Amino acid sequence: MKVLAAGVVPLLLVLHWKPGAGSPLPINPVNATCNTHHPCPSNLMSQIRSQLAQLNGTANALFILYYTAQGEPFPNNLDKLCGPNVTDFPPFQPNGTEKVRLVELYRIVAYLGTALGNITRDQKTLNPTAHSLHSKLNATADTLRGLLSNVLCRLCSKYHVAHVDVAYGPDTSGKDVFQKKKLGCQLLGKYKQVMAVLAQAF
Amino acid sequence: MALFAVLQTTFLLTLLPLRTYQSEVLSEPLPLTPESLKVSINSTKQCLHLQWTVHNLDYHQELKMVFQIQISRFKASNVIWMGNYSTTVKRNQVLHWSWESELPLECAIHFVRMRTMVDDARIPAPRFWSNWSSWEKADAQNSLGDHPLYVFPKDKLVEEGSDVTICYISRNHQDNISCYLEDELTYGKQLDQNVWAFKLKNVSFHRKTGTNFYCKGQGVPEGVVLFVSKVLEEPKDFSCETRDLKTVTCTWDPGSDTGLIQLPSYTLFESFSGKKTLCKHRNRCDWQVTQDSQEVYNFTLVAENYFRKRSVSILFNLIHGVHPLAPYNLFPKSVSATNATMSWKVSSIGHNSALLCQLQLLGEGKVIQQHNISVRVNGEYLLSELKPDTEYVARVHCAYADHFWKWSELISQNFTTAEAAPSEAPDVWRDVTFVSGHPTVTLFWKPLSKVHTNGKILFYNVVVENLDEPSSLEVLSVPAPANSTKVTLNRSSYQIYVTAHNSVGPSPASAVAISGHPENENVEEGRVNGTEDGFHMSWKPQSRNATGYVVEWCDDPQNLPCVLQWKNLGPTNTGTVISSDAFRPGVRYDFRIYEISAKGMAHLLEKKAGYLKELAPSYNPEVATINLTSHSFTLSWKDYSTESQTGFIQGYYVYLKSKTGEKCHREFEKTVLPDNSVGCKYTIDNPDQKTFVVKDLQPESVYEFFVTPYTSAGEGPLDDFTKVTTPDDYSHILTHIILPMIFCVLVVTITCYLKSQWLKDKCYPDIPDPYKSSVLSLIKFKENPHITIMNVNDCVPDAIEVVNKPEGSKIQFIGTRKSPTETKGTKPVYLDLLPTEKNYSGPGPCICFENFTYNQAASDLGYCGHFPVTPQAPHCQLGPLTSPENLLKTLEQNYMNSLGEIPAGEANLNYVSQLASPMSGDKESPPANPPEPALCSEYKMQMAIPLGLASPAPSKNSSLSSTALLDPSEHCH
Repeated sequence: MKVLAAGVVPLLLVLHWKPGAGSPLPINPVNATCNTHHPCPSNLMSQIRSQLAQLNGTANALFILYYTAQGEPFPNNLDKLCGPNVTDFPPFQPNGTEKVRLVELYRIVAYLGTALGNITRDQKTLNPTAHSLHSKLNATADTLRGLLSNVLCRLCSKYHVAHVDVAYGPDTSGKDVFQKKKLGCQLLGKYKQVMAVLAQAF
Repeated sequence: MALFAVLQTTFLLTLLPLRTYQSEVLSEPLPLTPESLKVSINSTKQCLHLQWTVHNLDYHQELKMVFQIQISRFKASNVIWMGNYSTTVKRNQVLHWSWESELPLECAIHFVRMRTMVDDARIPAPRFWSNWSSWEKADAQNSLGDHPLYVFPKDKLVEEGSDVTICYISRNHQDNISCYLEDELTYGKQLDQNVWAFKLKNVSFHRKTGTNFYCKGQGVPEGVVLFVSKVLEEPKDFSCETRDLKTVTCTWDPGSDTGLIQLPSYTLFESFSGKKTLCKHRNRCDWQVTQDSQEVYNFTLVAENYFRKRSVSILFNLIHGVHPLAPYNLFPKSVSATNATMSWKVSSIGHNSALLCQLQLLGEGKVIQQHNISVRVNGEYLLSELKPDTEYVARVHCAYADHFWKWSELISQNFTTAEAAPSEAPDVWRDVTFVSGHPTVTLFWKPLSKVHTNGKILFYNVVVENLDEPSSLEVLSVPAPANSTKVTLNRSSYQIYVTAHNSVGPSPASAVAISGHPENENVEEGRVNGTEDGFHMSWKPQSRNATGYVVEWCDDPQNLPCVLQWKNLGPTNTGTVISSDAFRPGVRYDFRIYEISAKGMAHLLEKKAGYLKELAPSYNPEVATINLTSHSFTLSWKDYSTESQTGFIQGYYVYLKSKTGEKCHREFEKTVLPDNSVGCKYTIDNPDQKTFVVKDLQPESVYEFFVTPYTSAGEGPLDDFTKVTTPDDYSHILTHIILPMIFCVLVVTITCYLKSQWLKDKCYPDIPDPYKSSVLSLIKFKENPHITIMNVNDCVPDAIEVVNKPEGSKIQFIGTRKSPTETKGTKPVYLDLLPTEKNYSGPGPCICFENFTYNQAASDLGYCGHFPVTPQAPHCQLGPLTSPENLLKTLEQNYMNSLGEIPAGEANLNYVSQLASPMSGDKESPPANPPEPALCSEYKMQMAIPLGLASPAPSKNSSLSSTALLDPSEHCH
C-alpha cells in the first residue's frame, strides 16, 4: 500500500468512521461484519445510476477546466500529457455480475476519491485563485463520497460484502509541480474515460 | 638571590614549550593535504557541498590556510571552475564549502578535487601547495529512473531579471526534442551526447502559479515549473504608534507583491530589549509593551524572501506616538431650540492619562463651532447659540493630552434643535381689483426664509380689520404652503394683518392698509431699460411722508395668472435695481411703483415697462387687403398687438414688389430684400398706425407686399409676400351688368324648372287638345273653310293585330330597332294602313298617320320609311312643340309606361300607344343613331288629311281605318 496522502486520510475517516475507528479501511478483514453507518435507502441502484450519470455529465467540464488552468503545454498536448495512462487503476468488467461490477465500482470510486483529494490539495496550492476549478473538484469529490457510500450500502445489504480491497491513487505530495500537474491531468482524463464506461454499465 | 634563581628557572621552563613548538611547526613546512574529501549534491539549491578535513595539524595548532578547489564537469579533465577558499583550520576540523552550479547538477557528472597551502603569517615563505586530492565524483543521475526524458531543475525559484539554465537528459539519442518556455520555442546548447542546456536570460514574471518550461519529443512531454519572483522591495513609510500604551503597532507599505505564493516574511526586532516578533501581516505588526517602563524602542523591520533581505529601522518613543482610539457613544444628551448638550466616552490610556477632545459643530457642512475639552473617561459639553429647527452634526475626536501627536478617528452624530416661533413677519403685498365697486384684495406673501421660520410653517393667519368699524374683525386661516389668499371687502378702510404660524406659535404680524376706493390708475407709463444686472429704475417721490416704496411686477407675464413679485424699499430710496433669475430677453415686463403712506396705504406712483433685452419681432402681422381698386389698395393689420412683442414696436416696414419691376412709388425707397430680390420699402415710424394705402398702381397689374414690424433690435422675420392684382378700369361695368344678367337668367331657369309641368300642360300636353292646338290658329289664320277636327270619340280602331309569334319575343321586338328584313319572319299579320318604302316612288307629299295607336307598321319599322325626306328637306312643321327631341323624350316615356302595363304573354292584341316611339326600346341607352328627320313622324297632330293623299292603298288584310280624310291640299311638303 502506498503512502497515504494528506487528502486520503480525511476522506477515509469520513467514509468509514464509526465508534472506535480511526484507521483506514482494513483490506480483506477476517470475519468482517456488514454494518453500514446509515440505513440504506431503498432505491440504491437508482441513486447509484443517477450519481454515475451526474459524474459522467460533469467529467468533461472538470477535465477542460483543469488542463486550461495548468497553462501550456497542457491544452495543446492532451494526448501525451493528459492521456488516461494511469498505472494501478482498478479494472472494470462491464459484463460481470452486478456484485462483481459493484465491487469493481467501489474500488474505482475509492481510487478516484483519493486521487481527487490529492489533486484538490495540489491545485489549492498551485492555483490558489482558480476558484471555479476548486469548486468543481470539491463538488466531484462530494458526489464520489456519496456514490461510495451507496455502493457500499448496496454491497452490504444485498451481497453482504462488508469490505473490499482497495488501491489508492499515486501520492503526489513529493512530486515536483510539473509532475503534479501532469498526474492530475492524467487522472482526470482517466476519470472522464472511466465514468463514461461506468455510466453505461449501470 | 634565591628568588632570582626561582624566577629564572620559571622563565626558562616557560620558554621551553615555545621553543619546542617553534622547532616543530615553524622550522619546517609540513605537507598539509586535505583528506576525507566528500562531495554531496543539494538539488534544491543546486549546490555541490564539499566536506573535508586536514589531519596533519598538531593539537592546538591553528593555521590560516588556502584551499584551491577544481570542479570538472562530465569528465575530470574538463575543469569548469577553479577557486580558492581561505580559512583558519584547526586540527581535525571538518571543513565545509559549497559551490552553486549554474547548470542543474542532475544533468552532468561533476568532479571535485582540491589542494591546500598554509597562508599564515607565522609561517615564513616559501609556501608550497600540497598535492591535489583525488577527484571526487558527484553524480545525481544515479538516482534518476528509467524515464526517457528528464528536465531540470525542478520547481526552480528565480528572481525576476536573473538568468537561469535549464537542461534535459534524453535517454533516446534519436529523439528530436524541442523545448518551449510556455509556448515559445527555446534554443539550447548540447553539453553532452544526451544533455542539452537552455540558458534563459532576464526571466520575467508570468504568473503567480509559475512558468512552464517543457520539452517534447516522441514520448510524453516532460517539463518543469519556474517560479519567478519579483524583487522584494524595501518596506516604505515604516512607522509605529500606540493606541493604549499597551500595544505598539507598526505599519509600513510593503510595496508591490513579489508574485509568489510564498509570501516574504516580516520580522520586527527591537534592539534595546533584543526581542523580536514574526509579523502576521505583510503591512502591520503588533508589539506588546512590557511592564518594564521602557519608553524608547529601536525597531528594525526585516523583510525577507528566498533571495533578499530588506530592513528599515525607526526609533520610537512610546509617549510621543500615542494615537488614541476613537471616542464612542456620542449623543445629544439634551436638545432645546438654541442649546444642545453632547456626551461621549473615551477609551482610557495608561494610568489616569487625560485626553484632549475636540468637539466640532457642523451646520450645512461647515464647521461653525469648535471646542476643546479635557476628558478622562466621559466627555460632555453644552453647545449654545444654536438655531431653532436646524439640523447639526456634532463630531468629536481626541488626542493624547500629555503629548499631542495625532487625533483619533472622528465620530459624528446628527441632531436637530427644537422649533421656536417664527422670528420675522412675512413680507406681504396686495393686489386690489374692484368688482362691482367692491374692492377684492389678493394678498401675497413670501415664504419666510429658513433662518426665520424656526420650524415648519403650518398655516398663515389673515386678520382683516375694518377701520371704519373697529369691532369688526375677520380672521382667515390659510394652510401652508399657500402664499396668497383673496379677500372681498366693502368700501371701507381696512387694515390686514398676516402672521405665519408653526407648531410653537405665530410670527410677528405684517400689516397692509386698504383704502376701499379705487386707486388712481391714470399714471403715464414710462419705459425702463434692462441691463445685465436687471432693470435700473428711479422715481420721483410725491410725498414727504412716505414710509417706503414698493415696486411690483410679474416674473413671467406671458403665463397667466401673474405670480406677483414685489420689492420693498425704504423711504429714502428713489431708485432701485430689479433683478430676477426669471427675467428673459424679449419679454416685456411692466413695473408699478407704489408709495407707502404713513398710514400704510399704497399709492401708485409710476408705471414703467421695459425689456431686459429687446429682440426683433418674432412674427409679422396678418395683413388684410381692403379697398382694392385699379390704382390702389389698403393694407390693414389692426389686430396686431404692439404690447406683447419681443421689443418696443417702433414702426413697420411695408415692402412692395411689382412684377414689372418698375420704379418705386413715391415715399417708397428701393431696397434689397434678404432674398436678394429688389423691392420697395416704406417705413411707418408710428407703431400705432396699422393701415397703409398703396397708391398710384397700374390697373391689371400684380403687386406683392409684405409688412413687418421693427424694434430697436431689428425687423421681423421675412415672410412670403402676398400677391394682389389690381383690376382693370371696366371691370366694375362688367360687374354691374353681367352679374344681374346672370341672376335674371338663373331666376327664369329656376322658374321654368319649377313650372315645367304647367308649361308642359300648357304647351305640349301628353294628349294634345286639338281644340287648343296652335295649328288651329294657323288654320284659322289661313281661314280654311274645310278644316275639321277629328272627334276622338268617333275613333274606331283601325287595325287588330293577331300575334302569332312566341310570347317572349314580343317586348324585344318592340323595343329593338330592327331592319324590316330582320323582322320579316316574325312580322305579325296586320292591316297595314301605311304605305311602305317600296311603294313609295319619288318625292311626294308628306303623309302622316296621325293616330299611331293602331299602327303596328310604324311601330315595327321604327322610322318613317315612307318619308323620303332628306335632312335638308323640311319635314313636318308642326310647331315648336313638335321638335324631334322633345317629342321623342315624351314619347319614350309614355311608350315605356304603356309597355309596362301590358303583362307579357297575355296580350295577343298588340296595343301600340299613339305616342310610342319605335326608337326607344331601351330608355337607359340612347339610340345609336340620332333621330333622323323622318322620326318626327312618330308624333303627329291628329288632324284631318285629305284622303287622296293617303297612299298606298290598304292591303287586303286591312279592315278598317280610322284615318280621317283630310283636305288634299293640306299636307306637309
